[in-house]
Amino acid sequence: MEALQTKAKELLAAGTVQVAIGYGKGTGNARRPLFVTKPERAADLIVDAACTQNLATYLTKHEVRVMGRMAVVAVPSTLRSILQLAAEKQIREEQVLALAVIDGQVRELATFEAIEEAVATIPDAMSEADRNMIDKLSAMSVPERRAFWADELVRCVKCYACRASCPMCYCERCTTDVNRPQWIPVASHAVGNLEYHVMRAMHLAGRCVECGTCGKACPVGIPVHLLTIYAEDSVRRQFGQRGGASAKLDYAMSTFKPDDKEEFIR
Amino acid sequence: MARVGVFVCHCGENIAGTVDVAAVAKAALDMPGVVHAVDYKYMCSDPGQTLLKDAIKEKKLDGVVVAACSPRMHEPTFRRAAEEAGINPFLCEMANLREHCSWVHDKGAATTEKAIDLVRLQVEKVKRDRPLQPIRVPITKKALVLGGGIAGIQAALDIANSGNPVLLVEKSPSIGGHMSQLSETFPTLDCSQCILTPRMVEVARHPLITLYTYSELEKLDGFIGNFKATIRRKARKIDEKLCNGCGVCQQKCPVKKIPDEFNEGLSFRPAIYVPFPQAVPNKPVIDVKNCTYYKTGKCKACEKLCPTKAIRFDQEDIVEVHDVGAVVLATGFKTMPVGNFSEYGYGKLKDVIDGMKFERLASASGPTGGAIRRPSDGKEPQHVVFIACAGSRDRLKGVPYCSKVCCMYTAKHAMLYRHKVHGGQATVFYMDIRSAGKNYDEFVRRAIEEDGVKYVRGRVSRVYEEDGQLVVKGADTLLGAEPVEIRADMVVLATAVQAQNDAEELAQKLHVSYDPYKFFAEAHPKLRPVETNTAGVFLAGACQAPRDIPETVAQASGAAVKVAGLFSQPTLTREPIIAVVDRQPPPVFSSCVGCFLCKSACPYQAIEEEVIKNRNGDVLKVVAKVNPGLCQGCGTCVSTCRTKAIDLEGFSNEQVFAELMCI
Repeated sequence: MEALQTKAKELLAAGTVQVAIGYGKGTGNARRPLFVTKPERAADLIVDAACTQNLATYLTKHEVRVMGRMAVVAVPSTLRSILQLAAEKQIREEQVLALAVIDGQVRELATFEAIEEAVATIPDAMSEADRNMIDKLSAMSVPERRAFWADELVRCVKCYACRASCPMCYCERCTTDVNRPQWIPVASHAVGNLEYHVMRAMHLAGRCVECGTCGKACPVGIPVHLLTIYAEDSVRRQFGQRGGASAKLDYAMSTFKPDDKEEFIR
Repeated sequence: MARVGVFVCHCGENIAGTVDVAAVAKAALDMPGVVHAVDYKYMCSDPGQTLLKDAIKEKKLDGVVVAACSPRMHEPTFRRAAEEAGINPFLCEMANLREHCSWVHDKGAATTEKAIDLVRLQVEKVKRDRPLQPIRVPITKKALVLGGGIAGIQAALDIANSGNPVLLVEKSPSIGGHMSQLSETFPTLDCSQCILTPRMVEVARHPLITLYTYSELEKLDGFIGNFKATIRRKARKIDEKLCNGCGVCQQKCPVKKIPDEFNEGLSFRPAIYVPFPQAVPNKPVIDVKNCTYYKTGKCKACEKLCPTKAIRFDQEDIVEVHDVGAVVLATGFKTMPVGNFSEYGYGKLKDVIDGMKFERLASASGPTGGAIRRPSDGKEPQHVVFIACAGSRDRLKGVPYCSKVCCMYTAKHAMLYRHKVHGGQATVFYMDIRSAGKNYDEFVRRAIEEDGVKYVRGRVSRVYEEDGQLVVKGADTLLGAEPVEIRADMVVLATAVQAQNDAEELAQKLHVSYDPYKFFAEAHPKLRPVETNTAGVFLAGACQAPRDIPETVAQASGAAVKVAGLFSQPTLTREPIIAVVDRQPPPVFSSCVGCFLCKSACPYQAIEEEVIKNRNGDVLKVVAKVNPGLCQGCGTCVSTCRTKAIDLEGFSNEQVFAELMCI
């Protein structure tokens, strides 16, 4: 933790970055995002097991960007977010610097190449609880699974916290907000909720970095992250490609490669 | 409020026989926005069109739905009629009551109900149509022809003779292609070179044709009327301007034992060579792989002896970019390697040869001067067996399709052999004789009846050597599958016609689709046989499917007319059914976030990056932009775009949504 504070202080003092995005003390034992702009406040930064939110969400926010170059305290999924954002032309190398926290060590990663190298060594990030849940869902029959999700999604209040917390949901106008035509119904009801969550999962297939932040953000406790993680997992199985693996990644869902394993598409 | 007119066509009995058209018209009147609905026997006829035009004027219609056949059939007809009546042609929609309803369902209430629903969809759509203007794109009036065989030669000459410049690119050192290797041609037995070489010379001399031999297409960017072709001109290692084609270098080159590609390996050539004496251009190339100088750093015999000092060992490849408006693909074919047909012994038995080798043996310009001599010992074969369908129509080991030319050239080979070796015996093993074409069947009959070629219907199971002779074992299926055993001196395999090895790669460079056998695909098998699905790229000859010379020439002329037709217009007019990226007033500018995932999804490379700047030149936003010349309106980007920032003109999200919601 001290290493991180020192590093952030140095970077801010030297003017290498103008803001450090990290974790600070929240209510009780919770952690909340902290935006440090002055070197002397770097001591407020915290790193511990409770710091799990994917802070990459803030990298695309206009309010944060105008401050200048950003250093971001990065858990492994944050690093993948940065690369995926770069692949989608949402962030440039000179705009961001990652302070990666890997196995308790703090590493400064200033280039996409360095981040790519770090990401390549990080194993699958899925928690055991999530893995068990996905295995359990995969084992269900289709009607059972449908019943499970119908039961879960009926509680959704369409607060869009999942969308707001997701680093890959950076669109200025979400499909949900399109009202000519109204693809996704505004009101919270069974069919509309399902449409929204299926749409979200489809939009993240091949792009999801599996941070699980959306699931944690849900105020009614729906495991929405399982939908996107499963979609991402399917893309990995089908196309052998992982969202956020490289800053030059082609989008698996829209890219044709001459060596595609499916004959019919060629 | 919308004023929509609905026009229900009987299409004779085609629709009215199954659908209650009067009920459809009556139901249409109750649809919101519809002010006029009629049915008529033939809406596409002149009185039918007049009905539509009068109604537009009299009832002041602002939208028209014609419930008739497929829009592929008559949409242009009715759009023109709508335009003549004074409304924008894109305010006319068609409900396909024929292909989508009457032809595929039985007569009954449910069928009529479906027809009404189909009309309802289009009424909802037409109400959301907005007037569109045709897109005009400039045209570069210069054509690129890829491949210098007879297809490319014919296409290049026809395009050039219509007054348009042509760049003809051939990958080998000379134009001429397979046709220059042939001996005589069916069904008239005129000498192939005698009819081809004048055309080759005409290409070289034509003021509007630029000929690039020993060159290849690296990349094709752009779109119809505005392509950018990157061409690699491989180094010949000679100065073409200085070389006068005297041939001294070829005579003096110490390397002599390289199998001659032109003679199908039946003779040898030096490392500096002109493929054949009638080559165009008649300038040699140095085969870098086999040249002693490039291997050991010593020799340069050609350089020392060249009277015009034209040898350039340090010459490099040149890469050029050319602007062209249309491309004709005429890259031809290859014959199937038959090494995997071990039962025929090809490659193992010297006197089992393929059709192309026989062409060289029979050709006056060939290694034997046109005398039939078998490769093993140079003796005149007294009995030759010809095996048709070596690879063709063979699902198991070859290709399932018919190679089309083999029946004819096998008859020709047998005939030529009988003409040249008077006492010789020719036997043809065949599956079927396919000789459809002008004077083709007569030609085959002539081989059988006048020239005494023996035709055996059956497959050959094995060819092997015994006592210095080839034994051909087969069955005669016309004689109750009786086993046949023939002792022959030479066996000729009519090998299957296949796509070129690099066909797939080339197709991907040009974004042209191709079939499972890598033959380039036409846009429509019947009605658009020389177009590809990429606008401005046309097909000629055997790169599309196995073809003979007359067909190839006809198709090449067809492709040339398509190019000339394209070039005859001052600008290109395209249907405005294209994708558009949403633009809004500042500070949003566009709901596009510039992720460019649409860019990789677009099969036509129509998505560009547009940089939005303020007056000071600061970049405010980078968003997607659709190139209207390239976009084909497929809608792939629309479905890829997460933010729905892209929409398709004429098929907008709003229209499709309304169509779905009204039923």
